Amino acid sequence: MSIDTRPVTRPARPLNRTRPAGAARRRRWGNPLAGLGSLVWLVLVIVPLYTLVSSSLMHQDEALNGDPLAFPTNPTLENYRTVLDSGFFTMLSNTAIVAVATTAIVLVLSIPVAYVAVRTRSRLSGLAFRTFLLGVAIPAQAVIVPLYLLISKMGLYDSLPAIILPTAAFAMPVAVLILSGTMRDVSEEMYEAMALDGASPLRMLWQLAIPMSKAGISTVAIYTALQAWNGFLFPLILTQSEENRVLTLGLFNFMSQFGVNIPAILAAIVLSVVPIFAVYLVARKALVNGLMGVGGK
Amino acid sequence: MRSGIFTQGKRAARWTAAGAAMVMAGVLAGCGSDGGSGGGGGTLTAYVYGDDAVKVQQAAVKEFNKTSDVKVKLVSVPGTDYVNKLRSAMGSPSAPDIFFNWGGGSIKPYVDANQLVDLTSTFKNDATLKDGFLPSIVTAGSLDGKVYGVPMRGMQPVMLFYNKTLFAENNVTVPKTWEDLQQAIKTFKGKGITPFALGGSDKWPELMWLEYLLDRIGGPDVFRKIQNGDSSAWGDPAVLKTAQTVKQLVDDGAFGKNFNSVDYGNGGAPTLLNKGKAAMHLMGSWEYSTQLGKAPEFAKKDLGWTNFPTVAGGVGDPADVVGNPTNYWSVNARTKHKDAAIAFLKTMASKSYAQSLVDNGDVPTTSNAASMLSGSPNPKFATDQYEMVQKAPDFTLSWDQALESKIATPLLTEISKLFAGKSTPEQFVAAMKAVK
Amino acid sequence: MSHVSSSPKVRGGRKAAVGNVGRPPVAWALPGILFFALFAIVPLAIAVYLSFCHWDGLNSPTSAGTANWTRLFKDPEFRQAAWLSLLLTTISWVFQTPVALLLGVWAAGRQRSRAVLSAIFFVPLLLSTTAIAMLFHALLDPNFGVIKEIGPWFGIDPNIMGSSTGALLTVAFVGGWQFMPFHTLIYQGGTRQIPQVLYQAAEIDGAGMFRQFFHITLPQLRNTITTSSVLMIVGSLTYFDTVLIMTKGGPGTDTTILPYLMYRTGFQTYDLGYAAAIATALVVVATAISLILVRFSGFGNMRSTREGM
Repeated sequence: MSIDTRPVTRPARPLNRTRPAGAARRRRWGNPLAGLGSLVWLVLVIVPLYTLVSSSLMHQDEALNGDPLAFPTNPTLENYRTVLDSGFFTMLSNTAIVAVATTAIVLVLSIPVAYVAVRTRSRLSGLAFRTFLLGVAIPAQAVIVPLYLLISKMGLYDSLPAIILPTAAFAMPVAVLILSGTMRDVSEEMYEAMALDGASPLRMLWQLAIPMSKAGISTVAIYTALQAWNGFLFPLILTQSEENRVLTLGLFNFMSQFGVNIPAILAAIVLSVVPIFAVYLVARKALVNGLMGVGGK
Repeated sequence: MRSGIFTQGKRAARWTAAGAAMVMAGVLAGCGSDGGSGGGGGTLTAYVYGDDAVKVQQAAVKEFNKTSDVKVKLVSVPGTDYVNKLRSAMGSPSAPDIFFNWGGGSIKPYVDANQLVDLTSTFKNDATLKDGFLPSIVTAGSLDGKVYGVPMRGMQPVMLFYNKTLFAENNVTVPKTWEDLQQAIKTFKGKGITPFALGGSDKWPELMWLEYLLDRIGGPDVFRKIQNGDSSAWGDPAVLKTAQTVKQLVDDGAFGKNFNSVDYGNGGAPTLLNKGKAAMHLMGSWEYSTQLGKAPEFAKKDLGWTNFPTVAGGVGDPADVVGNPTNYWSVNARTKHKDAAIAFLKTMASKSYAQSLVDNGDVPTTSNAASMLSGSPNPKFATDQYEMVQKAPDFTLSWDQALESKIATPLLTEISKLFAGKSTPEQFVAAMKAVK
Repeated sequence: MSHVSSSPKVRGGRKAAVGNVGRPPVAWALPGILFFALFAIVPLAIAVYLSFCHWDGLNSPTSAGTANWTRLFKDPEFRQAAWLSLLLTTISWVFQTPVALLLGVWAAGRQRSRAVLSAIFFVPLLLSTTAIAMLFHALLDPNFGVIKEIGPWFGIDPNIMGSSTGALLTVAFVGGWQFMPFHTLIYQGGTRQIPQVLYQAAEIDGAGMFRQFFHITLPQLRNTITTSSVLMIVGSLTYFDTVLIMTKGGPGTDTTILPYLMYRTGFQTYDLGYAAAIATALVVVATAISLILVRFSGFGNMRSTREGM
């Protein structure tokens, strides 16, 4: 932790005390126990996923009578058509709106909070920070009744903001924790250097804290977007109509709508994950590194 | 000041973070004064239980909106959480103007909170409504002698469905008495066939067994007492006998071993019946259309139905029926368009509405229904069902609808424990007596 | 928390020299704080308030004094639910932590095969809880699911969801299946940050793989373990979607954990006052556990403000 001489624009590693050395590492982690365990886990992960996809291609009758592990004898896309015809695209776009808006709100609101928490020493900011820290432990279920009232009174019941606002609020504690974790790694000397240049706090935030916290910011963005994409309780209680239905709730409803049509239900599950899976394929590194960052140091 | 949670119990405020409470009080101020209808500008919001039958209501709404200035907006709430959704909405400013219900205990909290329009005089003064429906059905949905609902769907008695092929192949007679039933259980079990399909994971299919057993053992009056709020009536010997019979059936393997993890909602239990893995299935009359949807061939050829058998030593009339007489529309007292709402409700008595119910495979509860049943997709089933209800000396409303949710929810939990062998018949009785 | 944050850190000495130049006004944090307060803290306060009321959701709430709380401490259902929640949390932790730790440490290696497997392990994290619960519900159907074919190979009764221990274990397993990739990633990230020089030194001392794991890897991952554990425990305590979709609290009440009991009490029995009491108890327990973990592990040093330095 000596004086950091890195140029301001270079993004900070989440941790500057470590310098992973790839080559030396290679030999090191050859733990046969973990290797074996990982193979067992691989089976446990693959089998359900395989059944998910293969059964979704089966005719209903085959799914009920046949061996669920066998490949479909006569694959069909009919189940997918059934699901697509049930308002899937509305749900998809609603979910995307919710995920994007939630992430935007969380970032816009959390970055200043983390910045203030890291850069000021006032009692107030300490208190606020601790409130957020404890906020991690507030289960959404605990507040769902009052939230329902609140959203109703605001005239937001059964609208997308009804999902977005509480989801964003409940994503904030983790966001603030992660962001302040990464912002704290920006060395004091760099702020001092900027202060000597007469930079305003805003410029420091914009030109130093944010660029240096890119890793944390992408972690927060990914974590929040996943939370919003997969949220269930808020949509369940706070929305109603088909126009505002998101994917998770749509899935839940398919369950009663399609009944024992297991292939259709599985097809719906597959379709619901396709968009995220596409993102995963394109931006796997960012996604993985982002989520890795939740652990901080 | 409906749901103005800070308008009362000021004393309690000292326990809460006062500052936060004040913020919230500001937010909540003025609640309840906005009339509460789902939307202004001449719309009536109608909540309906979202299942296959919704298309009949959709057509009715479309027809009504053609001529009416006030438009009805139908909101189809997925079945699994209809009751929750309705309850939450009724306690909020976004309550529906008209809503689907089961009559009886399902509307009692709303009646107690003065949230429903009393339709008694409307019915009395309006020939369309008064003469439009079977009187017993209208009565079944009313509460304390007052009418709150207009029948809007088919009748749904609980019947004993069976797989005809399995009965023929194994030479079993369709059970009329308890001895028949036990013989059937023995035979099917011996052949490795589950005697009765049961969606135990959903809990309410188990309830149907108690409803019929109690009726057959002790007659309909035992439950009537319970329904009228006498929780000591759970102590009636007939209730204990009912619970013991359930335990006996479970121990005898009448429902197989897996019923705890089989559900109805996902179609597990109906599939057992149509795949020939189970021989019988005690279920509401909607089982027919469920089977028609899942296994059309089976429904047309192999699906049989009959009344629930007698129980040895019981005093109940074997012609008694349990189930849902029908569903009703009720009107929110806070609606801005009461007249339009009632006008919409009146269309439920029309011949064309009854016809569309018949076309959907339902048996309407309108007085002119009998003559229309020949046009049903399965006239035999429709007629049998109609006659079964018509001849029944007593029609017990499903307990989970007849009782308020504060009793019905624990009841379902206790029943589930009884079936799962987690409580004895005696513990079941004791637990129900304690529910207030 | 205040004690936790007061321990001096490396930066402490340097800090004293720095003035208040260029520090942002605290007001910048206000929008975020107000937003969080409005949608989380205020509702929480109302939930606490409601726990002292009788409320059916339709009529106005009436004061109940401490009736709900007295009931809570005597209610056998609450006791059972609390026990089941504790059990589920413990099982989840015991199941997920070693597996995620091993997988994470293993995945930290940079071999190509490991990267490929890690990419596959990640997939469950992409599915929503709803989707996963529905998937396993279908797989574990005793009559039509995969379990009917595969279960007997391993001596598993296909009726696993219908037995009380089986149902709880299944819920724990499904939770693990879903969140394992997340915790694995956290450990993977943590492991990669362990300074390589520690291992080199250990190697010179002749320490074997296991000694390296227990003497370097584990202690170095202490904070990672805390982070992962807090998220895991809070997650298990608030587990809800899976139970609602897979077991509905059954068989009987054998998977009726606290959040589900709260949901049932609040949204099926409409005893919203009592439901609020259960919710409040849940918050208190979750907060207490997190605090204890944070305190004992010194996790707060890293995460709290620089106040007092």
